[in-house]
Amino acid sequence: MVSSVLICDDSNMARKQVIRSLPEELSTDVTLATNGLEALEVLKNKHIDIMFLDLTMPELDGVGVLQNLKENNSTSCAIFVISADVQPEMQSKVLELGARAFMRKPVQVDVLVKNLQEHGFL
Amino acid sequence: MPFSLDEDQLDCLQELINVAMGQASDQLARYLDTFVFLKVPNIELVNAQEFSKSLTSNNQSTAVVSQGFFGYEGIRGEALLVYQHKDSNHIADLLGYDPDELSDEEQLIDISSILTTTFLNVFASQIENQLSYNAPKLLTSEQDSMSEYLDHLSFSWDIALKVNITYQVTDYSFNCDMILLIPESAIIDIKTVIDRILEAL
Repeated sequence: MVSSVLICDDSNMARKQVIRSLPEELSTDVTLATNGLEALEVLKNKHIDIMFLDLTMPELDGVGVLQNLKENNSTSCAIFVISADVQPEMQSKVLELGARAFMRKPVQVDVLVKNLQEHGFL
Repeated sequence: MPFSLDEDQLDCLQELINVAMGQASDQLARYLDTFVFLKVPNIELVNAQEFSKSLTSNNQSTAVVSQGFFGYEGIRGEALLVYQHKDSNHIADLLGYDPDELSDEEQLIDISSILTTTFLNVFASQIENQLSYNAPKLLTSEQDSMSEYLDHLSFSWDIALKVNITYQVTDYSFNCDMILLIPESAIIDIKTVIDRILEAL
């Protein structure tokens, strides 16, 4: 089964790091967004199975995206947060808001694969 | 311009800074047992005269702790931790010190050292470098002495890459700015390192 993936990060380098870390079976249908507003727009118009979401972004940050999706109960996609903001309070917050897992930047291939496996995507 | 960064170089530097800022904030949050709100850092080229004026021009008096850093491959610069005086008076509360335990100056230097070294060590590890540090100095806010200090850093500079990071401690309505100044001679070296990282992507 092919899963559709959305990568939301304001950094081109960070988006590339996620793409490079994706297993082949998740690399065929990848959509990119550069801030939270763009991500919400993509989610309105396209079915997405997995979203990799940064937190510190202009326009609308990752917490804003999670809050919006939770309030509107508007997506079924699995959200994996990948962020440099590694404070324990922030990690708890995003998990409470519905993220499946928190990964610290820069993302490591083995950590990303392990998280996808744990949540049944590999 | 030889000192300006193109879009990819700027993006790469910003991401390296994000990661370092995140870990420095985590250290600060643990040290103060609070939460630190992160903003997107600002990067720009500044000239020495304008920067010196901007640092001393606002009406609120400031306390600045300055610490030089240098590593391999010509990487060097100065980290300035800028506090409003109203915030620097809260430092003893934040750190949980008794008022008589350490002087205000020692408290400021303590917290600045944590932020600067955590941030720069993480930054250095990402670019496979290792940094050494000069002893931190607390500067007075008078314009003449501040300008004079900035004119006599351990490197000469007319233009610098300025990276501005705001640490806002939400529980205490406290914030400080970390300003990194990377002089023109080191900008070229930083660009070389960034290009190497981008090529490896």
